[in-house]
Amino acid sequence: MIYDAAVDGWTVRAEVRASGEGRYTVRLDGRTVEVDVHDAGPHAISMIADGRAYDAVVERRDGGYRVLLRGQAIEVALMEASRGAVAARRAAGGPARVQAPMPGKLVRVLVRAGEDVGAGQGLVVMEAMKMENEIRAPRAGRVKEAPVREGQAVETGALLVLLE
Amino acid sequence: MTRLRKVLIANRGEIAVRIARACRELDIESVAVYSEADRAALHVRMADEAVAIGPAPSRESYLRIDRILDAARSRGADAVQPGYGFLAENAEFARACEDAGLVFIGPRSETIALMGEKTSARRLAVEAGVPVVPGTLEPVDDLEALRGEAERIGFPVMLKAAAGGGGKGLRLVPDAATLASAAERARSEALSAFGDGRLYLEKALVRPHHIEIQVLADHHGHAVHVFERECSIQRRHQKVIEESPSPFVTPELRERMGAQAVALVRKAGYRNAGTLEFLVDAGRNPYFLEMNTRLQVEHPVTEMVTGLDLVKLQIAIAQGERLPFAQEDLRQRGHAIECRVYAEDPAQGFLPSPGHLVALRAPSGPGVRDDSGVYEGGEVPIHYDPLISKLVVWGADRAEALARMQRAVSEYAVLGITTTLPFFDRVLRHPAFVAGDIDTGFIERHRSELFAPPAEDVREMAVIAAVVRAMRERASARAQPSAASGTGSAWRAQAWRDLGRPR
Repeated sequence: MIYDAAVDGWTVRAEVRASGEGRYTVRLDGRTVEVDVHDAGPHAISMIADGRAYDAVVERRDGGYRVLLRGQAIEVALMEASRGAVAARRAAGGPARVQAPMPGKLVRVLVRAGEDVGAGQGLVVMEAMKMENEIRAPRAGRVKEAPVREGQAVETGALLVLLE
Repeated sequence: MTRLRKVLIANRGEIAVRIARACRELDIESVAVYSEADRAALHVRMADEAVAIGPAPSRESYLRIDRILDAARSRGADAVQPGYGFLAENAEFARACEDAGLVFIGPRSETIALMGEKTSARRLAVEAGVPVVPGTLEPVDDLEALRGEAERIGFPVMLKAAAGGGGKGLRLVPDAATLASAAERARSEALSAFGDGRLYLEKALVRPHHIEIQVLADHHGHAVHVFERECSIQRRHQKVIEESPSPFVTPELRERMGAQAVALVRKAGYRNAGTLEFLVDAGRNPYFLEMNTRLQVEHPVTEMVTGLDLVKLQIAIAQGERLPFAQEDLRQRGHAIECRVYAEDPAQGFLPSPGHLVALRAPSGPGVRDDSGVYEGGEVPIHYDPLISKLVVWGADRAEALARMQRAVSEYAVLGITTTLPFFDRVLRHPAFVAGDIDTGFIERHRSELFAPPAEDVREMAVIAAVVRAMRERASARAQPSAASGTGSAWRAQAWRDLGRPR
């Protein structure tokens, strides 16, 4: 299998094939790693590569995996290479959808349609878990839509503001 | 002396679990209360009895004095332990307990009113000869008056909730232009957290340390301090890592702050465990901020270095017992560090991350204590503070404690929600933290290093883990075509990536 993987803006092509019971050969951009893999429960996997042991905990997410390893949480975006490069999804430009990152209540809507906003400018204030959190513009642009009102409860992923 | 038989715990989460554990060790029965969102919460499972007190929003459950007192009466409790937050510093609640003939495990209601109201506490501190940060000694209600006071004290200033604590309703105001919006936000936050939107002002000190003194006082006029906790690592003005002893505090400063704390406690006629919070400036001058008249979140740090059990001591004091030691019997031994494990995403400005705990593996081994309020398969509800656990370690000295905490954090695995653990790994390995060079601006100042991408080898092995897992899942899906291929829960992180990152 060939995958395109992305971690925090770093992209790599990973080619993996089974090379024995619990053994895999992984080529990362031309470098080859032999790894011995053993499942340790539903989420944890124990890996040994070149004599070094790695204890990882892996969780499936849409579009990839979250890997807990050596105290770090690493989001690995993954796509089978035949289906197009990961980078395509990271394209800039076009409308930007600002969505609710979590369920909560909107306590303030700070912008209206037609208004120009700068990068980092506050768009709405959400209350969740007793804290007020300001959701900010990912980039400069004009507000095309702000289909929300103060006091409204929203679910994760709800469109808060559409920038053009 | 009243021997308590049954204690109602007017709280939830890890602190309710902590109190239930103390009760069990003392052979006292515990009564949990729970909202509709918490029926399956750990604190309910850990108690001897449990009573439903209303819908999920805390204003309709954990803040309902009438329902909590009804619960206490119906179960025949003889005492109430409020923990921290919710009603812990609500004088009306303490008075209602007293009136109902229940022992309130805390100070008298008048003392809560006196010390819990931050401006009267500051006035009392001045009378007791304890220095305070320059600011208003009274709550200031209207915006023009706030502006006038701020100009008099000089910007930057801190806006604070008169009834506050825990960082709620707190705002740093750098200049006059931002005062109005900060005041509005602080007022609305204070109103929703404490039901009291009154604010006051203090001068903001430059690069201050947040250091607090733990005290214990009994009903017989006997008061001691139990040394300091260094609480300078904060986000949103809320502590996330604490330690004791403070690497910044000299023996002389410790003795001075301890004596000031005891003087103020005596002046207030205080009894119970309590905490006096100070800001200490770069010249090691302490300024009293406020007193928390209840158990503190980070109390385990003190327990680890003194060997005391503060929750049991609170019960002993409430039973009218004398403190079983004098000041000179107390020693700090070794070093303790606490990390507050929050269901929050540090990369998104510490946005709360509630949800289902798909997997939970807590660390263990020498010197490790995990005061958790959750379990694998359980939920972190959206309605409450997102603290899921307090990870605490002890070491013979700071270096050992630090290495132990790094080790423990790397063992801690939480899936399903995002936590502050990976962020703590960065903080604990940062050269400035290792050197003990910490103040309340630490996270902001070192933001770029703390949020740097993972090291190359870790990143590579993470990719290998992901591709091997992907290939195995593909193979097993092919072997069992009926089994769900499992697209998993929405990759919330992806949605969040589209959001603006906070400055």
